[in-house]
Amino acid sequence: MKKILQIEDNKANQILVERILSQFNYELMHAPDGETGVQLSIDEKPDLILVDMGLPDVDGQTVVTMLKQIPDLSHVPIVAITAWPEDKAVEIAQRYGCDGCIVKPIDVKTFPSQIEQYLA
Amino acid sequence: MELVTANKFSLEQLTHAYNQTRIDYVVPMPMNVSRLREYTRIYNIDMGCSWIAKNGDVLYGLGMLGVRPNRAWITRLGVLPNGRRKGTGHCIMEALLDTAKQQKLNAVWLEVIKGNAPAHKLFSKLGFIETRDLIVARRPPQANEKNIGFNDNIRQVTTLSHEEALILLSHRKNRPNWLNETESFHNVKNLSGLLIELKNGGRGWVTYHAGLLQLTRIIVEVISGDPIEVSSALLSVLHDRHKRQDAITENLFDDEVWEGFQKVGYFESFRRIEMINEI
Repeated sequence: MKKILQIEDNKANQILVERILSQFNYELMHAPDGETGVQLSIDEKPDLILVDMGLPDVDGQTVVTMLKQIPDLSHVPIVAITAWPEDKAVEIAQRYGCDGCIVKPIDVKTFPSQIEQYLA
Repeated sequence: MELVTANKFSLEQLTHAYNQTRIDYVVPMPMNVSRLREYTRIYNIDMGCSWIAKNGDVLYGLGMLGVRPNRAWITRLGVLPNGRRKGTGHCIMEALLDTAKQQKLNAVWLEVIKGNAPAHKLFSKLGFIETRDLIVARRPPQANEKNIGFNDNIRQVTTLSHEEALILLSHRKNRPNWLNETESFHNVKNLSGLLIELKNGGRGWVTYHAGLLQLTRIIVEVISGDPIEVSSALLSVLHDRHKRQDAITENLFDDEVWEGFQKVGYFESFRRIEMINEI
């Protein structure tokens, strides 16, 4: 079963993602801040990491920077989740070496196929 | 709706309320308690001059006031979902302006994120006028791979102490924004700096705070020479020394020094508009 880690401080967004993905055969994990997210990534070595760009302790860009510097996670796709306008979101994701970005609000219909694509 | 000063609330309550105000913002910038504590200390936020709007036990909104000699700064202004469409923002703003008047301050500053039309409209209605655009920029460490190289135009690089950095910061040519005023830097520990001399006579300095993960509080000043060349040389040396850190710089002016930042891999995250109300 593929493991997906969601680093997201907003409870409503966390629940939405969990509700959508619970219908599929994934093991879902959640971290409410950047520090917990990095620790969980190291401990659990997920197959995909979804990072919200606005976190309360350290912002998403810096979390991505940290994750990218951990050799054990070099093959793990990281996807930025953000409410930034799409062109800015794409730029941030590319510059920080993310494998992609998903713009909020999440599209319930297309989200599962987006996730599947990053896990492929 | 009633207004209560923020010092009647715990930092935990204020942090939670602030994060609720930002829940659906394009640039949400949530905080935790330790970040809010640090923020209020560095930027001289006076909780006795800051206001919370509420109705019974239900919080509607908040706004904080930084106070320095002769001037104030409005920050962390926001309305919780429960308080929207009730005039909460206007009510808090009036309380903050009245407080600044009572303190006999000459001017109140604030910034609004470019594109936040409702907030800009509210501030304009209350007498604030635009002064300038400010750029918030980032630079991922991956930018080193293509933007940093050996610069054979550099004659000398001098490393500066915290105290030397503060002296240079207090002698800047342009008026800094509140976040970057020298008073803010006096509240920050462990500043570093570099002074650079180029072979063609260009000179300048950069001050910064090097954390484990991030370079922050980056200020560049060009003393002589081409601003783009000097600033990019300074930043090249800085990032060559701190290869692994992500970099954030807030409230840059849109000038030639910004071009120097871009040359070494910085990109614009968003812009703020600085506004003033001379009361």
